[in-house]
Amino acid sequence: MPEDLRKIRERKGMSINQLASRSGIPLARLIQYEKGAEEIPYTELSRLAKSLYVEEWDINPRSTPPPRKEQPTRPSKPKKPPQKEKKPRPKSPPAREAQITHILKLAARFDIDREALETEIGKPLEELTQKEARFWNNHFNERIIKEKPPKHPIDRKRSYLPEGVDGFELAYLQEQQDANATLHFTLFDGQAFEGTVIGFSPYQIIIREPGGDEITLNKLALAYYRKAGGEA
Amino acid sequence: MSLGDELRYLRALHGGGNLMGIEDEIGLTPGALRYMEQRYRRVGEDEEVLSKIAAYYDVPLEKLQWHRERYRKALSAYLHQAMEFGTTARFELRTGETLTGRVRWWDLGAFGLETGDDDPLTVVQRHAVLDWEGSINNEAMNKRDS
Repeated sequence: MPEDLRKIRERKGMSINQLASRSGIPLARLIQYEKGAEEIPYTELSRLAKSLYVEEWDINPRSTPPPRKEQPTRPSKPKKPPQKEKKPRPKSPPAREAQITHILKLAARFDIDREALETEIGKPLEELTQKEARFWNNHFNERIIKEKPPKHPIDRKRSYLPEGVDGFELAYLQEQQDANATLHFTLFDGQAFEGTVIGFSPYQIIIREPGGDEITLNKLALAYYRKAGGEA
Repeated sequence: MSLGDELRYLRALHGGGNLMGIEDEIGLTPGALRYMEQRYRRVGEDEEVLSKIAAYYDVPLEKLQWHRERYRKALSAYLHQAMEFGTTARFELRTGETLTGRVRWWDLGAFGLETGDDDPLTVVQRHAVLDWEGSINNEAMNKRDS
């Protein structure tokens, strides 16, 4: 009486992998044969018989499909415990000083002073909660985006760092060029030139000498200059 | 004059070679010399590097060390103070001249000096200032240059 492939293999104490290895039949196909999903062709039946040391007719070419396992039923969700009574939300803490300062700054963009702001809000700023302060900050930010009020000059003293610019010298040169003033230039090596400024850049000054010649003076070569007529 | 200005000056005197080439020749890490020439803050802390540069330009190490103490920010501070308090400032230039007067303005590359009531404003290039009153070791500088 032929038996299913799986039964024979198990009786012989062989794993499916070993059988696949011995017979040269791919594992995936063996699984299909054992499941009864496919019928074993004769050529492979012969190879399997040899691998299992049985006769060909001992193997059932189409195994009986295994009985379907019953799907375990999902355990029903435990019922939610009855909801507790909602606690009243804690009141928002008082607004931070930085929040109030920020609101005042934003309001100032619309020329709203503290008094006017408190009137608009309906209570003193100190009585605002953090939540309310956030609301008013957002309110003014939105207004700024929509209305784009002009910026007031920043009222704070900033250290002036002229090293970031070379504007003073360029302004001086522009002034002299506009006035067509004659300047006297002294170079590192003692050479001197005189002429009117006809152009300049951060690195060079171009002058026209009284004779009409144009000279480009490299600032790196310059020691100092002044309006013609003065002595060092 | 700051170390950066002095190094630039020395480079110009030595044919104005490009920085990368000189760095390579001296054996400095790329960008080291460029950094020293361009910074406004105090640079040249590494004595070994400074020695190599001094040897390359054939100048005494002490000369570079002297310039190291006259960094650009220090001159800025002097100019700022002189202008803020309206004090008379004194500058010794590389040309050998000494200029005295009140600082009217100063910026990145130059400063305006009022040398006398009737004198026109003198625009002094900052890199031309060798030393100034109040900088450290001022007397030593005078001896060195004499």
